[in-house]
Amino acid sequence: MYDRSVLFLPLLAVLVQTLSGAPVDALQAPAGTKAIVFLFTSTDCPISNRYAPEVRRIAEAFGRKGVVFRIVYPNPSETAKAIREHMAAYSYAGIAEGMRDPKLALVKFAGATVTPEAVVVAGGTVVYRGRIDDRYVDLGRERPAPTERDLFDALTAIVAGKPAPHATRQAVGCFISDFAR
Amino acid sequence: MSRVHGRPEGLHCDRFAARPRDRCRAGLQACLALLLFAAPVFAQPVTYTKDVAPLLADRCGMCHHPGGSAPFALLTYADAKRHAAQIAKVTADRFMPPWKADPADGPFVGQHPLSASEIALLRRWSDAGAPDGPQSATRNLQSAIPWADGWQLGKPDLVITLPQPYTLPAEGTDAFHIFVLPIPVDRGRFVRGLEFRPGNPKVVHHANIRIDTTPASRRLDDADPAPGYDGLISRTATYPDGHFLGWTPGQVAPLLPDDLSWRLEKNTDLVVELHMQPSGKPEQVSPSIGLYFGDAAPTRTPAMLRLGRQSLDIPAGDANYIVTDAYTLPVDVELEAIQPHAHYRARDVRGEATLPDGSKKPLIDIADWDFRWQHVYRFVTPMRLPRGTRVSMRYTYDNSAANARNPQRPPVRARWGQRSAEEMGDLWLQVLPRNGRDLETLSRDFRPKVAAEDVKGYEVEIEKHPGDVGLHDDVALLYLELGKSDGAIAHFTASVALKPQSAAAHYNLGTALTVARRLDEAAAEYRQALRIDPAYANAHNNLGNVLLSQKHYDAAIQEFTEVVRLQPESAAAAKNLAAARALAKK
Repeated sequence: MYDRSVLFLPLLAVLVQTLSGAPVDALQAPAGTKAIVFLFTSTDCPISNRYAPEVRRIAEAFGRKGVVFRIVYPNPSETAKAIREHMAAYSYAGIAEGMRDPKLALVKFAGATVTPEAVVVAGGTVVYRGRIDDRYVDLGRERPAPTERDLFDALTAIVAGKPAPHATRQAVGCFISDFAR
Repeated sequence: MSRVHGRPEGLHCDRFAARPRDRCRAGLQACLALLLFAAPVFAQPVTYTKDVAPLLADRCGMCHHPGGSAPFALLTYADAKRHAAQIAKVTADRFMPPWKADPADGPFVGQHPLSASEIALLRRWSDAGAPDGPQSATRNLQSAIPWADGWQLGKPDLVITLPQPYTLPAEGTDAFHIFVLPIPVDRGRFVRGLEFRPGNPKVVHHANIRIDTTPASRRLDDADPAPGYDGLISRTATYPDGHFLGWTPGQVAPLLPDDLSWRLEKNTDLVVELHMQPSGKPEQVSPSIGLYFGDAAPTRTPAMLRLGRQSLDIPAGDANYIVTDAYTLPVDVELEAIQPHAHYRARDVRGEATLPDGSKKPLIDIADWDFRWQHVYRFVTPMRLPRGTRVSMRYTYDNSAANARNPQRPPVRARWGQRSAEEMGDLWLQVLPRNGRDLETLSRDFRPKVAAEDVKGYEVEIEKHPGDVGLHDDVALLYLELGKSDGAIAHFTASVALKPQSAAAHYNLGTALTVARRLDEAAAEYRQALRIDPAYANAHNNLGNVLLSQKHYDAAIQEFTEVVRLQPESAAAAKNLAAARALAKK
């Protein structure tokens, strides 16, 4: 038997937009990249925004280890200008690239449903999808501090060539489906 | 559409059933089943303009308007559409609108719950793709919110703002910071209302507001170089004349009638504790407070009653710890408002009144207590509670790891304390007696109960901070008030040990020993105070009184003479000296 995935499923381009409006394949990454983290966010989602410091910490820790971070804005009504301002305000600039996904192509590829949600792609496939950590149990129900740092633990495993402890973990936040209407 | 009743007629919970919440749930299920089979109503398509917009304006608009206290506005179709699924979920969870009390309680001012059918309607609208509706209908509900950009109570007579904004760090869990703001009035005023504007609604979650007529809060603020201070609200900062102050999103206390206003004196400070949630980036916070003055002095004054146990002590891991307390009213009152207070471990919060005839009235029932939504619940019609009514509370706490909000992991023993990692359990009741005489009767009857509870809280604090002289002094004074001189002596002794060179510490201990009639020891303490500060007139005076009791007339006269020398203008000093001389002659 041959491996169908290798023979018949060449990597598809997942077209998103750079902040200058140019189409770009979200899955393209520099040589030597071990994984790409797509962090789905929106400018006015409070839960998404509260995670900015933790996202920066994780990006700084794994940026040195061959992991590329991309902040993805799936809400088509958020302009490139608003996104640039948002990235500056929450200090994402410099540690992660921003990209727009107005057609939700990356949302569909990644299976993301809320902001904030992290999707880790390695070898062209999704190897982790879900929450950053377990601080939010539900909308309106929150732990004072996380007890499980799922994204951090997933990246630690993936960088070491191991599978993430959990392939998916339910994320809590603002619904991406609301942006698509 | 009823604004008050959360459930359709006939489906109210039976709160006296053995397991009231099961009965509620059954009721709700029956209600949902009813809705599912009510096909004719459901056949019509739900649209924004016809169905959703009026609900959003009425139940959500008071916070979800541009510049309001919610993180986003919901007054246009575009705004509503892009939050449709979120609206359906948070209303179904009853996270929004944030009304924690059982809808059958009250009715309370500002209560705007959604009925089960309204919640189902929002879900159907979201599932249908959030359809718009006729273009002719209102496109923007801004006009439905008349106070969107202004003060809800109208233009204030006085607006107080922070001299400089406070910067909240980007990260962390709930943050608390206390600001002390002088109230610039040149004479006494009668206050009919107070409106709080959060300034930065993204981070300001609620505000505790008190009045301090002493410099104590100001000193705490001055000791911290940044705007405001971190720590606890001073015990000298209180609710004025039995009136609640404070703010939670969507709530503004209506203006009081003139005869029920509270007195504001000159040189009073406003003490504002902000509860904030960091937003992910540093935020500038600059709240403002508007005051509304009346013309006439109040003729009625409410009293603030506080039920609760400062002896609470919740074992680590205990998922079902219960705190109860009760008080029987010695006079007729009207219950104006009620506010439960607890921290993160409280789960179920209940208050009840048992009338003299044995009948029971629910006061407040919160089945899923959330520290983040601490409303003051004001009755639309004050509840009459006759003399002999027993008001009671029953709070249940979950100090296990299963409680996601538990501030400690793994759970630890939780005792009473004002810090959010500690635990509290208070039920505040604002009651209005018929007249001044009844108010005095009530205050006199209630005061020992609350003082005894405060003593327990102080003892817990002192266990944690045994070197805090201020705590020892405060609790000693409470012991004296309660007629327990042994407790006072123990704590003043501790203060003396901590500050042996303080004349006041020896004087205080001498006073407590005098009350206990341990006169030789009292005299020794006064003499020690006078060795440190020979010009301590009160110490001379009290020593004189002790010597007089011991019939040491000459020594007593010597002390009183010294008081007169130190305070030549004091009539009391001259009188004491004369009395001592008269006794000596007999």
